[in-house]
Amino acid sequence: MRVEYINPFVESAFNVLKEVLQGEVKRGELYLKSTSIPVMGVAAIVGLAGDVEGRVLFDMDKPTALRVASVMNGEELKTMDELVKATITELANMITAQAVTKLHELGFKFDLTPPAIFTGENMEVSDQDVEALIVPMETAQGKLEINVAIRERG
Amino acid sequence: MKTKEDFPEINARRPDGLKPEGTPYRVLIVDDSMFVAKQLNQILSSEGYQVVATAGDGLEGYEKYKELFPNVDVVTMDITMPKMDGLTALQKIMEFDKNAKVIMISALGKQDLVKQALVAGAKNYIVKPLDRKKVLERFLSVVAK
Amino acid sequence: MTSQTSPMDAMILERPEERKERADKVDFKMVTFSLGGKEYGIDIMNVKEIARANRFTYVPNSAPFVRGVYNLRGDIISIIDLRIMFHLPVEKREEDALESLLILRVEDHVFGVIVDSIDKVVGVSRTSIQPPHPIFGDINVKYIQGIVENAGKLYIILDIAKIFSPKAEKEEHPSRYEPPSGASIPTEISAARTGTARPAAADAEMTAGFVKEGLFSFRHFAVTSVNETWFRARYKEWERLRAGTDLQLHEEADADAFLEGFLSPYSGTLWGADYMDAVASFLPDSDLRSFNVWNPGCGKGYETWSLACTLRRKYPQSRVKIWANDSDLLAISMAPNMVFDASAVPEPYRAFLVKGMNGWTFDQAVRDSIFFEFHDVLNSNSLPPVDLIVCRDMISFLAPEEQKRVLADFQDKLKGTGLLILGTHETAATGAWRPVGSGAVSAFAKA
Repeated sequence: MRVEYINPFVESAFNVLKEVLQGEVKRGELYLKSTSIPVMGVAAIVGLAGDVEGRVLFDMDKPTALRVASVMNGEELKTMDELVKATITELANMITAQAVTKLHELGFKFDLTPPAIFTGENMEVSDQDVEALIVPMETAQGKLEINVAIRERG
Repeated sequence: MKTKEDFPEINARRPDGLKPEGTPYRVLIVDDSMFVAKQLNQILSSEGYQVVATAGDGLEGYEKYKELFPNVDVVTMDITMPKMDGLTALQKIMEFDKNAKVIMISALGKQDLVKQALVAGAKNYIVKPLDRKKVLERFLSVVAK
Repeated sequence: MTSQTSPMDAMILERPEERKERADKVDFKMVTFSLGGKEYGIDIMNVKEIARANRFTYVPNSAPFVRGVYNLRGDIISIIDLRIMFHLPVEKREEDALESLLILRVEDHVFGVIVDSIDKVVGVSRTSIQPPHPIFGDINVKYIQGIVENAGKLYIILDIAKIFSPKAEKEEHPSRYEPPSGASIPTEISAARTGTARPAAADAEMTAGFVKEGLFSFRHFAVTSVNETWFRARYKEWERLRAGTDLQLHEEADADAFLEGFLSPYSGTLWGADYMDAVASFLPDSDLRSFNVWNPGCGKGYETWSLACTLRRKYPQSRVKIWANDSDLLAISMAPNMVFDASAVPEPYRAFLVKGMNGWTFDQAVRDSIFFEFHDVLNSNSLPPVDLIVCRDMISFLAPEEQKRVLADFQDKLKGTGLLILGTHETAATGAWRPVGSGAVSAFAKA
């Protein structure tokens, strides 16, 4: 992934998580992956278009998703209902949008597509021919992984 | 000795959401995310605004505005929505009512989108994540005109 | 017309009456259009209709040249941008500008193709169509059915079936790499193995084996056919250097000592003028509009900046694009914004530097030509076919199976006329590569 794209994603993830979760947020070591990626249980995907094409995938397990949604809504949520899903989707949207805004300031014109959320057991995400950058984030509510796969257009 | 309890009205501030005559401002929320709609609802209701309806996409938002007109004072409009996006819905509402007060809400900021929206007639713009103070400030500036 | 004249000469030599007679027999009609400044034509039998449209529904995760799909009176067809597919420059249009579309049918597959502008239907006689020669197009010659001249214009006829049929066909005779006339070519293959009949006692071989293992475990340096020659020579020296003491590598410092002298000249710094000139001498003379380069294992980026300047000097008119990768994030993240001390920079670079706040950096044109990427070369990539691969001292630091995979990937990604430059002591000794370098420039072309 182009070096210039990396920081905006890492910084936005950190900023938004810090703001909405109000707690300690730590970033893990970045690494690259190119195989079928097992998903922890809850995956929110936001598509990217414009000067590049690709997607950003937010990956976490169910208990983490429930805890994150609970904090963001200010009430304890125990089941994976529409509200929890909408909350996680919104989180994915906010992080990706902030990254896209930062990239816009650097001169890269990206656009977002509306996010989608997947929940299930034993899910796997397979991108053909695409290398993904993984940014692991540790929060008080659990571990999240941000998985970015981008390639230049043309 | 007289204390604050004896003068309950002295420092009480009138909630932002109430018009000078005491009735609440009516708000239409247009957003495809249940979470955002809920958050906005919470923030606005706590300040006295009355949320009269919520719509899940631009088309529904436009239809509801036409239905409720002229009993809507402010509309909040999300930008990315299925069926009809926020900008298109904004344009349609402005066509229908050139005095409509629409505030754009989006996760994307500082882009041509903001300029486009303001040019199309939006009165203000709020960037997510929603900060209670900011939301109330922007709302106040829009209804006060 | 004698049998010795070429078809082109024949066309010029024929008498006016003959030409008119030929021109009258129109048995091939084509729709002409322009693409990247040149005129092209497609057999009218393949053209269903012409349209102008702008609202294509974008399909994510499709190939870059697929602009999306379009609703053509009820049929959803894919829309392909030929300019992107052939890596031609695309003029920026505003968002809603109508694009010129040719709706084509190949077998029963219908799709749309975006071109710069559509001209008219031209009728010619089949006999006047000349076979293709690479000189006429920026596009791979296999996609060209032929060339024809009409009313003073030269049209390149595209073989649509070849472009859109499955990739099963092998390339028929791509043009090969020919070194420019000034380059020095070795008359014998100097990078070949010096022969296996070295009378070595069994346990000397074993020690060498242990040294190889040490190199791999401490520095991830794998001895294979890529660097075997260098290893053997170095091992002999090592025996002399460490005569009397233990030859084996016990710690990182030992491995580093052994590897001394392996790295190519100017590793970790800007190339000196001598090396720049040496590399430039092996680059083919070309006035191609664009020149694509892949630079895996670029490390901190010194090599990439050196390469960019070398190419700007050699090909001032071409659009040079360099994709530089490394899997070491720390190293490569500083590369795009590298700052230099004016005194530390060799003369040939000075023309490309501009003064910034923190020191001297490269000018915008040079910077725009490089894409630094955090990328693991073992993962797949989406690069277009490239004219040059510069990969110095990287393959040797991969495991043996990985080395093979990467070299195979280089074969795939390199154009037929392309050049591969490895580290000075590395060689791509397999049958698939032919050595064309000399001295410190270890260069290979496709066999």
